[in-house]
Amino acid sequence: MADVNLTIDGKKVTAPAGTLLIEAAKSAGIEVPSFCYYPNLSLQGACRMCLVKIEKMPKLQTACTTVISEGMMVTTDSDEVRQARKGMIELLLGNHPLDCPVCDAGGECELQDMTFSYGAAESRFIDVKNHRDEQQWSPVVYFDRPRCILCYRCVRVCGEGMDVWALGVQHRGVSSTIVPNQEDHLECEECGMCIDICPVGALTSGAYRYKTRPWEMKHVGTTCTHCADGCKTTLGVRRCSTGTELVRGDNRDKSGINGDFLCIKGRYGFDFAHHEDRLHQPLIRRNGRLTPCTWEEAFQLTGERLRQIRDREGGDAIAVIGSTRTTNEENYLLQKFARTVLGTNHIDHHRTADYPALVAALAGHPKLTASMRELFEAPAMLLIGNDPTRQHPLLAWQIRNNVRLHRARLYLVNAQPIKLRRQASSFFAIPAGREAEVAAFLAGQDSAVAAIASETSPEAWIRWRDQLRREPKLVVMFGSEIRGDAVASLIKFAADLPEAKLICLGDYANSRGAADMGLYPDLLPGYHPVTEVGEFHKDWGGVPEKPGLSLRQMAEHAQAGKLKALYVVGANPVEELGLDPFVFSQSFVVVEDLFLTETAAIADVVLPAANAYEKSGTFTNTCGDLQLVKKAGEVTGTKSDFEIIVRIADAMGVAVRKLVPFGRGSRADMGQSRGAQSGEADRHSVWLEARGLEPKMSPFDPMAILDEIQRLVPGYDVSRLHLLAGMDQHTSLSGSGPGTKHDPSAIMPARDDLFSSGTLGRYCRTLNAVLENGHKLAAEEEVAAE
Amino acid sequence: MVSAGIGWALATSVVRYTSCKMSFLKGIAAIAKGMSITFREMFQPTQVENYPDGPGPLRGAKFQERYRGVHVLQRDENGLEKCVACFLCAAACPANCIYIEAAENTSAHRVSGAERYARVYNIDYNRCIFCAYCVEACPTDAITHGHGFEIAAFNATNLIFRKEQLLAAKPGHLGANAVFNQVEVAGGAALPVPGS
Ligand code: SF4
Ligand code: SF4
Ligand code: SF4
Ligand code: SF4
Ligand code: SF4
Ligand code: FES
Repeated sequence: MADVNLTIDGKKVTAPAGTLLIEAAKSAGIEVPSFCYYPNLSLQGACRMCLVKIEKMPKLQTACTTVISEGMMVTTDSDEVRQARKGMIELLLGNHPLDCPVCDAGGECELQDMTFSYGAAESRFIDVKNHRDEQQWSPVVYFDRPRCILCYRCVRVCGEGMDVWALGVQHRGVSSTIVPNQEDHLECEECGMCIDICPVGALTSGAYRYKTRPWEMKHVGTTCTHCADGCKTTLGVRRCSTGTELVRGDNRDKSGINGDFLCIKGRYGFDFAHHEDRLHQPLIRRNGRLTPCTWEEAFQLTGERLRQIRDREGGDAIAVIGSTRTTNEENYLLQKFARTVLGTNHIDHHRTADYPALVAALAGHPKLTASMRELFEAPAMLLIGNDPTRQHPLLAWQIRNNVRLHRARLYLVNAQPIKLRRQASSFFAIPAGREAEVAAFLAGQDSAVAAIASETSPEAWIRWRDQLRREPKLVVMFGSEIRGDAVASLIKFAADLPEAKLICLGDYANSRGAADMGLYPDLLPGYHPVTEVGEFHKDWGGVPEKPGLSLRQMAEHAQAGKLKALYVVGANPVEELGLDPFVFSQSFVVVEDLFLTETAAIADVVLPAANAYEKSGTFTNTCGDLQLVKKAGEVTGTKSDFEIIVRIADAMGVAVRKLVPFGRGSRADMGQSRGAQSGEADRHSVWLEARGLEPKMSPFDPMAILDEIQRLVPGYDVSRLHLLAGMDQHTSLSGSGPGTKHDPSAIMPARDDLFSSGTLGRYCRTLNAVLENGHKLAAEEEVAAE
Repeated sequence: MVSAGIGWALATSVVRYTSCKMSFLKGIAAIAKGMSITFREMFQPTQVENYPDGPGPLRGAKFQERYRGVHVLQRDENGLEKCVACFLCAAACPANCIYIEAAENTSAHRVSGAERYARVYNIDYNRCIFCAYCVEACPTDAITHGHGFEIAAFNATNLIFRKEQLLAAKPGHLGANAVFNQVEVAGGAALPVPGS
């Protein structure tokens, strides 16, 4: 759009036509105070905080609703404007309680800040304040009506942003009140977006309520450990009598791929870390019972037994199951340990998407994957299968807001009437399980239309396909319904388009990472087949070349008495995959986990592991965006999986340096580190790390493995500096190995919902409270209907 | 070597002695003058405090009203704690010695007058510099400096005072019983503090 010139406070400003005055001022570094204005939400003009003087206009104007025009002369700082702001704040404070000492917003309250910057110290109102009791709307949302300044941000974010429309306004003028959809309580997605966006302490969180103060916490920006979308979440950590406590999750730092967004799991799903069932001591099975022991005993026993079995029976008698929630470094290390130390290719994980098929089909088509950020900008989107609103909340947010703000076209094909159809420009219902035929049809196989055209005529399907083919830029997303050959068909379709990119939807926080790091019996990191001698064989000095067993085959192997040892890291195959626990009764089972899961209960050694919020490393989200995982807290008695793997290797008598290349070839520049204690970033070490120069003196340093990953895994060669600075880095799959075709039935989607998150979710108090509340409500409804 | 060294030192001091005979006499005069003041003062009435052997509960110690001693966490007229766990004192403290854990009041368990209270409130007297910034910061006048000063300890951990040690006494008209419950009157553990 053409540029417009205007003057703000004597400064010449140029901005594209159509820009709001408040944004133009911001771009020139001039702050115009505002309450109700929020970028990317509809305009409200409710608070009148943003009043400015525009020449030739008789009265003060609201900068948040005024569009700039050529030659505008604006004053944002005159006596008149200051007086107006002061007046507005005085009115806002007219019935505002003096709650700051007990209000959860205190210290990060926009009203406090504005009162300090622009307000009047004294009030001329002497009337008694009109008090209303605080209301609890849901397990996580509380509302304190007198504190509300009626900016309507919550109403808009819930409606426009979340498409839930659970909040509304009742009455008019001074008696306006924010009300929940169910009169006195909320039935909604409990995302907490309304709490986050509320500029004051009117909406507060049940999880963080009255616990501490923002300045009392350390704020650590890390990646969410639940679904595969990889939101950046900021954890508030406090020291407490038992070490450190995670007190709150929020979206303080809006720089992540999720922008303003966090779903309930990212915001409240951290409390599993302090669940009373958390393991704090290693357990060894003695006389048939799991009994506490020391870490040394556990490592010695595990190391010795694994060594004996490997030496006596060979690697073929050992199997390893990896996790979809451990970091890339841990996954890489685990498969390297399995292949080079245990001498086995029997390694697998809970597969939730067919990434190897994607890689295989992508061969020869570089740059065909889309990042989460690109999705938000795409002019057109096609989604086949999946229900992102429930399984990929961030993806759904990106889609919805792309449609709302950029008028993007959304094409939906689904067997269920999923909620995103409200944003769709076309929604085609298909019979369940026919997603593969859609892919075939898209790839040009017209006969497939018969299988899918139940509700829509074949002609409509053909028109639809033609329209898609004309899309200049299209992002294609598909769930786990599309596997194997269907993935190849989709890519065939996409490759013929002018510019199409793909997102393959997996289920857990690091499913993509587990796949990329080679937690497959037949694939090395970067989807290189184990049968082909290449870089890894050279670098590691020997890898068994026979493909190993998949999860199900491992169980069969165990049943036949041929599996002597099973090593499980952060997975619960007994529960999640429904494996029969008794088949492992003849094997030596080692389990690393947070809780005594169904799998841990049958183990011979249980090692209490740290969760993703208690360690450092990287995660790759389902789109392939690589992000940093930062250690926020620590719980006594646990160790990171990384350390545990290294310690077991050490107990087996392995030269650990071969596994983790630490302290190698670096001239250790310890330099001077300052300010780290006082919370300031340790710049020197950031600089060193960004260049891969930090000493890496410890075999427990994941960065040492990240070096190897960046060197050997195609696509991971991204900017270390940007990664460490907390930015997402897209890893494309181009350059990967040839991938492979797997048995599609090995893919078992997690089927998690908004409020569940695999085994982890069972230990989240807040999630469970929301679930129970929902059940209670449902039960009440039934009673009412009778 | 050694004997030679001693001989040298002796020789030097003899030389010094002869050359400084005059200043030696001057020194004696100065000491006599000083001692005369001492002897005169010995017969004057005592000016210093007779602490710790004086009379009364303070054992002879005297200080100004404004003296800043061990903090007191005050109670309101209903005997509830005034502190609402706002953390402002901890934020203001330049020595970073105040540790608070907040919790919510319920109708069954009401500790303070507002929505929340301090479940744990510790002041670390190893670090406190008695600046009264916390007193200044407190929006509810909950924390004040008292006159307690006998806090010396052999063990540094004993210098971390907990809420029970800092709380003001419950007034008698609110049920504190001076005869049967000294703890209550002394401001001590009237309320069990979980986790401490
Ligand atoms: S909303 Fe802000 S101004 Fe109002 S009581 Fe809370 S902290 Fe104070
Ligand atoms: S929690 Fe989310 S869905 Fe619920 S009312 Fe708030 S914004 Fe709406
Ligand atoms: S509850 Fe908060 S966000 Fe909603 S209108 Fe009131 S002040 Fe604004
Ligand atoms: S959308 Fe996924 S990654 Fe984002 S906060 Fe929710 S569970 Fe976490
Ligand atoms: S003593 Fe006063 S300043 Fe400190 S937490 Fe309590 S109320 Fe706040
Ligand atoms: S920000 Fe302009 S009216 Fe509220």
